Amino acid sequence: MTDEMSITSYLAQGGVLSNPSNVPPRYRAELMKMMATFVDSELAGAAGFADIINEGPGIKARIAAAKIVLEKSDSAEKVLRIMGDFGADTERYADHHPWTARLERDADIGQSRTKHDMRLAVFNYPLEGWADAVVMNLLMGSAVAVQLEELSHVSYQPLAEAFRAIQPIEAHHAELAEEGLMVLVEAQGTKALQELAGYWWPRVAASFGSETSQKFEGLKSMGLRRTPNAELKARWEQAASAVLAKAGLKPAA
Amino acid sequence: MARFHDLEVTDVRKTIRDAVVVTLKPACGAAEEFDFTQGQYLTFRRDFDGEELRRSYSICAGKDEGILQVGIKRVDGGAFSTWANTELKAGDTLQAMPPMGTFFTPLDGAAEKHYLGFAGGSGITPVLSILKTTLDAEPKSSFTLVYANKGVNTIMFREELEDLKNLYMGRFNVIHVLESDAQEIDLFTGLVTEEKCAQLFEHWIDIQSVDTTFICGPEPMMLGIASALRTAGLNDSQIKFELFASAQPGRAKRKAAAADAASSANQTKAAITLDGATQTIEMGKDTTLLDAALENAMDAPYACKAGVCSTCRCKVLEGEVEMVANHALEDYEVEKGYVLSCQAFPLTDNVVVDYDQ
Repeated sequence: MTDEMSITSYLAQGGVLSNPSNVPPRYRAELMKMMATFVDSELAGAAGFADIINEGPGIKARIAAAKIVLEKSDSAEKVLRIMGDFGADTERYADHHPWTARLERDADIGQSRTKHDMRLAVFNYPLEGWADAVVMNLLMGSAVAVQLEELSHVSYQPLAEAFRAIQPIEAHHAELAEEGLMVLVEAQGTKALQELAGYWWPRVAASFGSETSQKFEGLKSMGLRRTPNAELKARWEQAASAVLAKAGLKPAA
Repeated sequence: MARFHDLEVTDVRKTIRDAVVVTLKPACGAAEEFDFTQGQYLTFRRDFDGEELRRSYSICAGKDEGILQVGIKRVDGGAFSTWANTELKAGDTLQAMPPMGTFFTPLDGAAEKHYLGFAGGSGITPVLSILKTTLDAEPKSSFTLVYANKGVNTIMFREELEDLKNLYMGRFNVIHVLESDAQEIDLFTGLVTEEKCAQLFEHWIDIQSVDTTFICGPEPMMLGIASALRTAGLNDSQIKFELFASAQPGRAKRKAAAADAASSANQTKAAITLDGATQTIEMGKDTTLLDAALENAMDAPYACKAGVCSTCRCKVLEGEVEMVANHALEDYEVEKGYVLSCQAFPLTDNVVVDYDQ
């Protein structure tokens, strides 16, 4: 039982790691980035949504928005705890940064991140009112579903388990957004909502990263990724178009 | 951040020639911190000739046994495990962090499940903790253990497993697979490979009835077993792994000495290694190592840029740098030369840093 195998080839063959003690340095770095991206996106998403709670039409809508804020914070904590196993100061991490900070509505940042956190670019745009928040949450919700399905297979077992636990919670947020959208369509028609969908569609699409990413093969050999960005994005486009169609809306041209 | 506590060694017992079972008692009211879940591990630290070594060992006791025990197998050239096997004795004090790890599933007294465990050599320690706890807490569940060893005399906890078979008659089954000792049944000789598992699933283990599997052993064995389990229809959430490096280095290398003293110039030549490639750049002493790397189009890892998350960790091999903040690295890491590159400014005219170590 002593046959030697390097961690690198173990991972390349689909091996799973279970604790920080034998995680190679480059793997650690990519894993930490992946976790920070998720934590920062959830914290920024929750912070942005918190301001929207009071704008919800009726108590039910406000409960739904509050629930989303609560659960996104909870999901952030699940993953931040794993960063803590690697030495991150989790309390300071949650408080070191103004998560409500946003850029201008028409800032042109593409896929880039701001200098000070790892949130996906889409979480840098400000929400402008209830309908805007619902449309953003709907499109991002279906994107998160696709991304979490991919991430629930990462080779670091504690993180894969955390993502598997988070999957149904995020899926429910997308359902809440879908319900919210239907209410809005009934009340005000599709014209203004179509504009919002047109605004968010390319920004959410950008969160799938570069289609020509050089890093994919490296991440794949470490078991941190399995499906190329372009394919994930195509899956989302199909799913999100179908949801929009139910409300009589289309993706951006 | 993780904190170390003193633990009193109350017993050290040999289980086979080169493995000991160490019983521990938390000192100074830390008992609550060491209330563990089955399958978790403890990380110990000890000073060897002025250098701190850390090693993780799985708890082998069951959750409700009321004791804290770890199994430590001697690894060739392993400083900590050799010391534990030759010098550690009752009355000594060890330092460990509270139990960590997620190698377990929740238990339910009403559950009627079939668990399947695979252990290779000293990989038995967490699996033993899991199976003892599970058989005790779930009276209707059953556990099958496939236990791989070189030969009969290297089987850790052999007698204890026999006792458990008698105690949980009909609910606990052990299949010993021995690499070099012949057994009555040919299938039980050799290595536990993907093919061997497939054969076991044909006649010896009802794989369709298995709810959850636990695997702890060397890397190739884990890969083979996982592959066989997936072929048999189990999904990722039903397969739990625990891996500790099979080849733990005996002693960490000494940190490279500072190459030269600081000078007055404000420029530093930095050789930065990332993903196997080294780039040498000129940077100001008022720039962090991370920013210098990023400005030179290197894809250096980072997240918080506030000295909190440790994503940007790298190792200084030559020269000296100064961190303005550090909320993530522990003293022993800093002693080994690790720095948070987002907080590290060069002090010397030459620095050599590596993100790959």
